[in-house]
Amino acid sequence: MKAKEMVALGTALAMTFSLAACGGSDDSGGVVAANLPGIDMIELGTDYQDITASIKILTNRTDIVDTVYKGYAEQFMQLYPNITVEYEAVTDYEESLNLRLPTGDWGDICYIPTSVAKSEMSEYFSPLGDYGSLNEIYNFLSDKNYGGIQYGIPNGGTAGGVIYNKRIWKEAGITELPATPDEFLDCLQKIRDNTDAIPLYTNFAAGWPMGAWDQYIGVTATGDPDFMLNNLAHTKDPFAKRDDMSGPYAVYYVLYEAVSRKLVEDDPASSDWEASKGMINKGEIATMVLGSWAVEQCRESGATPEDVGYMPFPITVDGKRYASGDGNYSYAINNKATEDNQIAAMVYLKWLLEESTIFEDEGTIPALKSEPLPDSLSEFDGVEIISNNPAIEGEETLFDDVNNESEVGINNNDYPDCEILECALYGTKDLDTLMGEWNAKWSAAQESLGVDILKY
Amino acid sequence: MRKKKGLSLVFEILKYISLVFAALCALIPVCVCILTAFKTNEEYAATSVLDLPQSFLNFDNFVTAFQKANMLRGFLNTGLVLVVVLTASIFMGSMLAYVLNRFKFPGRGLIQNLFMFAALLPGIAMQVTIYQIMYSLGLVNHLYGYMIVLMGTDIISIYIFLQFFENLPVSLDESAIMDGCTYFGVFFKILFPLLKPAIMTSLLLKGVSVYNEYYASNLYLQAPKLKTISTALYTFTGPYGNQYNYICAGVLITIAPILILFLVFQKRVYGGMAAGAVKG
Amino acid sequence: MGKGGGAVATKKTFAEKMKSREAQQFFVIVTFLFAPLLLLIVFTYLPFMRMVQFSFYNMKYIGPKKFVGLANYIDVFHRTEIFRALLVSVYYMGGAVVQLALALFFATLMVFKVKGESVFKAALFFPYLICGIAVGFIFKFFYARGFVFDSLLQIFGMKLEDIPYWLQDQRINNVALAATSVWRYTGQNMIMFLGAMMSVDTDLYEAAALDGANNWHRFRYIILPSIKSIIVLNLILSISGSLSAFEPPYVITNGTMGTGTYFVIMNRLAHENQKVGLACAMAIVLLAIIILCTVAQKLFFAYVFDNGTDDESKAAVRKRKKAEQKKRAQKGAAV
Repeated sequence: MKAKEMVALGTALAMTFSLAACGGSDDSGGVVAANLPGIDMIELGTDYQDITASIKILTNRTDIVDTVYKGYAEQFMQLYPNITVEYEAVTDYEESLNLRLPTGDWGDICYIPTSVAKSEMSEYFSPLGDYGSLNEIYNFLSDKNYGGIQYGIPNGGTAGGVIYNKRIWKEAGITELPATPDEFLDCLQKIRDNTDAIPLYTNFAAGWPMGAWDQYIGVTATGDPDFMLNNLAHTKDPFAKRDDMSGPYAVYYVLYEAVSRKLVEDDPASSDWEASKGMINKGEIATMVLGSWAVEQCRESGATPEDVGYMPFPITVDGKRYASGDGNYSYAINNKATEDNQIAAMVYLKWLLEESTIFEDEGTIPALKSEPLPDSLSEFDGVEIISNNPAIEGEETLFDDVNNESEVGINNNDYPDCEILECALYGTKDLDTLMGEWNAKWSAAQESLGVDILKY
Repeated sequence: MRKKKGLSLVFEILKYISLVFAALCALIPVCVCILTAFKTNEEYAATSVLDLPQSFLNFDNFVTAFQKANMLRGFLNTGLVLVVVLTASIFMGSMLAYVLNRFKFPGRGLIQNLFMFAALLPGIAMQVTIYQIMYSLGLVNHLYGYMIVLMGTDIISIYIFLQFFENLPVSLDESAIMDGCTYFGVFFKILFPLLKPAIMTSLLLKGVSVYNEYYASNLYLQAPKLKTISTALYTFTGPYGNQYNYICAGVLITIAPILILFLVFQKRVYGGMAAGAVKG
Repeated sequence: MGKGGGAVATKKTFAEKMKSREAQQFFVIVTFLFAPLLLLIVFTYLPFMRMVQFSFYNMKYIGPKKFVGLANYIDVFHRTEIFRALLVSVYYMGGAVVQLALALFFATLMVFKVKGESVFKAALFFPYLICGIAVGFIFKFFYARGFVFDSLLQIFGMKLEDIPYWLQDQRINNVALAATSVWRYTGQNMIMFLGAMMSVDTDLYEAAALDGANNWHRFRYIILPSIKSIIVLNLILSISGSLSAFEPPYVITNGTMGTGTYFVIMNRLAHENQKVGLACAMAIVLLAIIILCTVAQKLFFAYVFDNGTDDESKAAVRKRKKAEQKKRAQKGAAV
């Protein structure tokens, strides 16, 4: 009898909610048009002492959020007693931030997730100043700016190289560090033959160490700062083999060959990242391909920190060696927070980048251009450390678009790199076939997005 | 006759061998965790996983895990969520079942089918859209929001109650109504007390699933002070993760309360499970 | 939920009473249905409708979306890895059958007198209580090369080089993962079967014993018929459960080394490649497959059991369907 009315009521409710849901996801809250200074204009310790605010910073460092990071916040609060700084550690950082960012109500400072396209940064983050003047002061700014405005500043940077145990490499009879993929593989073979150490530990089970291989295909493998963000999206068959063994193919060749020649751990599927840091310190592992940020952690994990060394990735381009210096995650400020909060956040950010000990503690390349390189990079003599040039105007999202559409997932999906190891391990596909598939996917994505193919 | 006796003896032996074997299979993965949880870092690195720890009194890992993952907070939050969600589920489930079972009205079949079909929908795949709705209703990052999500997906108890009502004779209702009882009275005074076995079953199934729920908890409860006990374990994963001796200690801490409850109420738990099955 | 209906019951004529009862009935229906129905619509059907909507768009989590019609669906059917993932489900179906067989076996043993029954029951049931994340940790540790499982096998005299790599070897890794699911749910199934078996009248056993029936006869003619419907129901559920398997690979191997199930691949496309529209289309395709399988199976079993057996009457069929709904709900929550 009355059921029809109830159904009608239900439908009406459903529609109300769906409207509300649309509204919520599309434009949530207003951007607070704050009257912000440029971060370079702030005088630390004197400016904004009168601001009272409580700010929250999101981080992925679940391990040290309550110790080291809390310590930074406390130091800062002595300088600015009216500003309260609180850290929140987020597990599954990328995944959570994808959902939280659009709400506008997530905190005050975060690392910009990789999924935010450059053109979208202004929707979520406050301008920190203009690129031209900030670029004089800070390292690695090229990535997080759009239309001449800087939205994010990296938490220092990482040089792309290879962690190794000096003692083991010596014991294996290696006197000179390798400069090409084949020399490197020969060294690994020597380690296999002459020592008990695992020549190369992949850390496959953790997933992200496999994705880390992507970081070497740009500057390190080509010496070209435009390769990653400008040329790659326009290149036909970028993963094809080059005669001089440079380029992306050479990087993946090292991985593929090391696995298929059985120079890696016995069972990659049960590798253990936490244990591996101690093992390389002790000399049970000879080599791991990871960014320089990991050096400090490996040194701290055992009794012989002096054995842990860092060498450039073994690729030579036209007789020269390069290493990429990439910015870590970039800090950015929530543009939907109140003006006071945005300013307080900016003051804290400046303090963190310029006066805290964060970069020494983490062994990373500091944010300030005026600061020296960390000592982990002492063996990079004669190696040019270059960071990627930003994409040219109008093509800021092009690399991301092609990358996502093709599902090759450079720097954002670990799985394709895992597949290289799987193919080598099971012998199901050779590297040329696999790279051919990547090229085909890359071409298909270029085609569906209407990208011009250019010759470089 | 003699031969037969010998045969049944063999049968008996085989029976116990297989039972002991199965029990070991069920327990060993967890028992090894216990061994590891009592080892120090150095011990863990130096010994085989099956070696006994030097001392079963070394509770350091438990203390570290408990503090590091802020498990006290996790237990309090989970406890609160359990109380609210279970109460709400039982009332909503039984009331809905009462209406669907006792009254004939247009749309009844439709509603019943809607609930049935909902069980088929892929929950993981819908998280993206559910999150948007949760957000627009202002329910993200509130314990009550998480509670509502858990109630919203509760189809289990509804079925348990539906099938239980099937076996409660309608004459009960009728005689109560003849005595001047209202429908509300019939439900709350007469029928609800009779639902005890169904309530037990639903408490058990729902309780275990709420206690162990981690996907939604990780998604909707972001502030550290809102973490539930299942997501406390996430503290130990990722690039900045931790060692197995802490992880094992953490795992054991999360298992302990539910295990104790289970051992205390063992008989009723089986009764509950069985009731769920028999009436099927 | 107030008790607002109490005011209505005063002395009236029969007709009035009927009338007020009708009003009362309406009131009860509305109040009792309101909350569950609202929750169902807001948290199940609304998201579902939006998922259907998204499946026609090319979109990321963040940023603009573009209507692309059926392109996502066409894409799903062009991907070989998706059909490979459906093949992985076969392992989980196998696991489900083994699980039912084991549960049935142990439940049968327990029906007869067993010393220390409660200890065995508790041990077998215990894994069901453990949280998914913890299960992931436990089994990573268990299967890791040279760790728990390998050490155990070595104690029993196996050489390490004869032991397969549990998570790496593609001949065995999906079996290893499906086994964790068997480990977790066998005890729970066993208790349910046991419940059904115990519901058989004890007189029947005694009568059978007097007739000289042996254990096998008791199992075949008394126990088995009492639980046939619940077994059939579980077999039916195993298909949809296997197709949507997610947790074991997600928490243990993250879908690498050929262990990616359909949902794991869908999750990866949605989160890492940001192809939300495509992931939604995949979800809907899987839903269609599950519905098809369920209907086909139901028809199959209805056909098989309506022929020649007298203990599966029309009433029994109806009963079974009821139970099916409930079990499906449980399974849905468990997966």
